[in-house]
Amino acid sequence: MNTKHKPWYAIVLVSLFLLLSACSNDKPAKEADTAAEGQPAGGIAVYGSHDDIMTFWDPSDSYSNEIIAMNNMYETLLRYDTKDESFKNILAETYNVSDDGLTWTFTLRKDVKFHTGNDLTAEAAKASIERTIERGKGAAFIWDPVEEINAKDTHTLEFKLSYPAALDTIVSSGYAAFIFDAAAAEENGGEEWFNEGNSAGTGPYSPEKWDRGSQLILDSFDEYWGEWEADQYQKVVFKTIQEANTRLQMAKGGELQFVSQLPNELIKSVEEADGVSVHETESFQQLVMMFNTEAGPLKDSKVRQALAYAIPYDNIIQDVLGNTATQSFGSIPAGLWGHDSSLHQYNQDLDKAKQLLEEAGVDGGELTLTYVSSDEEERQIAELLKIELAKIGFELELKGMLWDAQWDMSKATNPEERQDILLMYWWPDYADPYSFMKNLYASEDEIVFNLAYYKNEQYDQLVDEAQEVAGVDRDKAIELYKQAQQILVEEVPGLSLYDRKYIRVINDSFGGYEDNPAYPNVVFFHDTYKK
Amino acid sequence: MIRFLIRRILLGIFVLFGVSLITFLIARVIPSEPAARWIGPRATAEQIAAAKVELGLNQPLFMQYINYIKGLFTGDWGVSITSHQPVLKELLIFLPSSLEIILGGMLIALIVGIPLGVLTAVYKETWIDHLSRGISIGGVSIPAFWLAMILQLIFYQYLGWFPLGERVSTETALLYPIETITGSNLIDSAVQGNWVYFSDALNHSILPMLTMAAFPLGVVTRMTRSSMLEVVGEEYMRVTKAFGFSSGVRTFKYALKNAMGPTITSLGLTFAYALTTTFLIESVFTWPGLGLYTSNAILSSDYPVIMGVTIFVTAAYLIVNLLVDITLAILDPRIKVNVE
Amino acid sequence: MDLKTNITPPPSMEKIGSKSTLSNSAFLAEIRYFFKMNKLAFLGFIIIVTLILLALLAPLIIPYPNDVALETHVENKLQPPSADHWFGTDELGRDLFSRVIYGTRVSFQIGLIAIGLAVLIGIPLGLIAGYFGRWVDEVIMRISDVFLSFPPLLLSIAIAALLGPSLTNLMIAISISWWPWYTRLIRGQVVSLRERGFVEAAQAMGVPSWKVIARHILPNSMAPVIVQISMDFGSIILTAASLSFLGLGAQPPLPEWGLLINIGRNFFLTNWWYVTFPGLFIFISVMAFNLFGDGLRDYLDPKTRDS
Repeated sequence: MNTKHKPWYAIVLVSLFLLLSACSNDKPAKEADTAAEGQPAGGIAVYGSHDDIMTFWDPSDSYSNEIIAMNNMYETLLRYDTKDESFKNILAETYNVSDDGLTWTFTLRKDVKFHTGNDLTAEAAKASIERTIERGKGAAFIWDPVEEINAKDTHTLEFKLSYPAALDTIVSSGYAAFIFDAAAAEENGGEEWFNEGNSAGTGPYSPEKWDRGSQLILDSFDEYWGEWEADQYQKVVFKTIQEANTRLQMAKGGELQFVSQLPNELIKSVEEADGVSVHETESFQQLVMMFNTEAGPLKDSKVRQALAYAIPYDNIIQDVLGNTATQSFGSIPAGLWGHDSSLHQYNQDLDKAKQLLEEAGVDGGELTLTYVSSDEEERQIAELLKIELAKIGFELELKGMLWDAQWDMSKATNPEERQDILLMYWWPDYADPYSFMKNLYASEDEIVFNLAYYKNEQYDQLVDEAQEVAGVDRDKAIELYKQAQQILVEEVPGLSLYDRKYIRVINDSFGGYEDNPAYPNVVFFHDTYKK
Repeated sequence: MIRFLIRRILLGIFVLFGVSLITFLIARVIPSEPAARWIGPRATAEQIAAAKVELGLNQPLFMQYINYIKGLFTGDWGVSITSHQPVLKELLIFLPSSLEIILGGMLIALIVGIPLGVLTAVYKETWIDHLSRGISIGGVSIPAFWLAMILQLIFYQYLGWFPLGERVSTETALLYPIETITGSNLIDSAVQGNWVYFSDALNHSILPMLTMAAFPLGVVTRMTRSSMLEVVGEEYMRVTKAFGFSSGVRTFKYALKNAMGPTITSLGLTFAYALTTTFLIESVFTWPGLGLYTSNAILSSDYPVIMGVTIFVTAAYLIVNLLVDITLAILDPRIKVNVE
Repeated sequence: MDLKTNITPPPSMEKIGSKSTLSNSAFLAEIRYFFKMNKLAFLGFIIIVTLILLALLAPLIIPYPNDVALETHVENKLQPPSADHWFGTDELGRDLFSRVIYGTRVSFQIGLIAIGLAVLIGIPLGLIAGYFGRWVDEVIMRISDVFLSFPPLLLSIAIAALLGPSLTNLMIAISISWWPWYTRLIRGQVVSLRERGFVEAAQAMGVPSWKVIARHILPNSMAPVIVQISMDFGSIILTAASLSFLGLGAQPPLPEWGLLINIGRNFFLTNWWYVTFPGLFIFISVMAFNLFGDGLRDYLDPKTRDS
């Protein structure tokens, strides 16, 4: 560079620097003062998750963690409230069901706008559900009982069912039941347009910025049909923080309003900290142990009972889980209708286990157990089981695998190549015991989730009948499910070890949050506010 | 020089073919059903068959490989099984934030390593020499993922100087937002004069950079030392001494100039290692870069991503080393003799 | 051209080759001289011997041998270091000191098997390439060039990740990434030995080529291989630990160091001992081999030795 120009250059540089830094200082002031009447001004709420939240943005297909953010961008006709086992109207104003339970009619709210700018109509709602059914991905199977959907007029939506299923639970599902502007979405490019980070929902928040793999920022939707109060959050951020320690420290430092999960080993340090508190809530999540009823020593129900008596329930719940779970009764978790705490619970009784093995004429052997390797709790439980089962003569080979690999192995064509014991977490797609009773244990021609390979006609009949009457006669369904669960307790094709509780770490300034296990890990941010 | 370049490029292409073939064969040998995973749970037989066609898995192995190679040249590096996004597109999204800590680490390694290497050569066989040789061997021996956690324990937990992870704090990102230009937060915020953002981002990147610095530091110190030892013995050092330059000036000005070549070489060589190190440490720092992307792909055995990353890192390594050689040849004409 | 990531050029192999022909007493004198000139290498050597002893005696000397895989004491989970548990306890209440010391055995076993496999692949290929020359040589060496063109760590991670997590796959991945180094080394040896009189003499007498290789070439090439192994062993331990840290490789309850750190990272800020001690052992082991190997390299490289 020519030295003559130096002074010039320096002056330009300095003034540029001053100008830019002056600009950057203005920004926060702008943000803070623009809160008008009826606008949220509570600032930012940050949700800390251990896992990636957004992968698939298509509201028809999404069947994973996305529901955490999706339920803030999209809404369903109804929402199930676990606390008083009732349905709240969201996009539906009223609804009724015919006496035979086959026709359901929903009247839609009238002042609702999609994020695309269009109005919600019965036609649009019909189109979104039909799109989901047609694509047939994710949890689309929940619509199986629906035969046809009719838009009677602009705001009346009618469903015709093939059997009297509980459509109110189906339309309130956290997966595959979102109402969105299907026409506009398809015009823009459908799935690909969604996957770029776009929403066509009606929810209180719409996407502002998405940094793949690290965070999603949602902004409050100006034309949301619900009221905005001044203490509600303008922006909601969903952050992916895999390291539990980092999540913990950020929560303690006030950077996170809500943390969905933490290893129980870290909970104590939260309890001692100021400004945050730990909330324990029931979930519909159970750790399920599936026994191979088709091959190997576990074919015999006596041997399976013996295993059930060899499990160190107390150690698992107290020491591994730090009492963040309770031992299950039967196969339906507490809080979900159909749960029955009068059912028999197994306890650890090694003498009884040995006696049962003797009766069965089995003296130990080798067993393979598969578990999800990324789940630290499952790993610890598997290690405990290995040691306890050794006491009754079984040598347990532990295989930590990815879920896909674990599932592949369990579906091997040759029953001998499958595992003997499989550990997995199970939770319902919507608040209905059907997910547990039918999917896990009803006979399957092609193996999907009955990973015990259990076949029992009497059981199948009870469960099918329960499902069919659930929409019209809940009490009868509960009674039928009870009988079915008794069979499971007796025959032990699988065993629910415990009902997991959710451990949330919540900042003390974060108000209005209530856990709803029907929507696992979801925070409905419109219900929350800054204290 | 031209002949040398052509030979290098040809060998590079040969290596890339080899790497793609190795990873491709291993990925296909493994009994797994990517098509089933593509659909997700409750996939029906028809859906899986359709996905096989969509993913090209119904073709013979040889054709699959040809298609894969064709794709590599046309920018179609396959599609991630978990995110259904093009691998190359995602790689490029995550790359800048990794380069940020890699280059930062190398800068630290140079600033500390070269003087250390000079010192240790000048004070050969004294405690300074032993100490800095210890540091240099320690740098290449320390497990990066462990160093990352130890630094967090010391500088976050006990001293509270630096944040634990992430690239920038949420509040800063929302209240002082920057436009993404290069993808490097430090450069972008500096260019836009957003110094609040800049200092916050710098604060967040110190620990990852220090972790990344350990390995190149060891290599640079060692290379500087050994080339210094060669140069110091040479005749012209004695001549300059005769002219009466002071010892400090002499050592740095002349010896260092000659030691630069090997040091640049070593930085080039550590580049691929640094890219691989990010696989181990970015998850510890919640640093959303290439490494975090890869370690997640490993956890979910997302094989198109693993293959893509391997080829990408190999290519980056070959290119960087080619550039290093060219730079050296330009800086020092004597190098030409050594090259062939 | 040289694309590898070794810190320094490879030692002059002829020099190592000649070492094996030294007489016993001269050899001992040479070793004494080596350690005297390379105090850091001596330190490394002492640590290596200690670690080997720990690895061999681990089952006998650890205070809680059952904590390696047979018992858990969940009620004592995550206790800080104390007189009973020098390194504290893990998330299932097991004694970390016992597990970390036993981990020495695990790491050395993994390293030995992995490098053994690499040598088993690498040496025959090197012998074939060097002995037969021509297109055989060309093909084998070009293939190994591909492997030598990028760092073994990357290739090991890629292969292990594609093969899926298991200890066997980890060892396969490491040996696939490392064999070409031995092929190249052995080939160089063979080419230089082939020029020497006794090989030609044997060939002239009609001894079949495999016998020439087995009797004359192989034994004469072993010294540099052993030197190379001792220099590579540190990197192999580090690579194995890195793979286990990523969740590839060792599976619980095996107390492999990298795996211990992978598990311990979940609670390391509040329980500092969990990652600190296994990491320290990786660090010390790798450093010991590098100190020793570094000294060897200096000693064998005439340039640095004479200056």
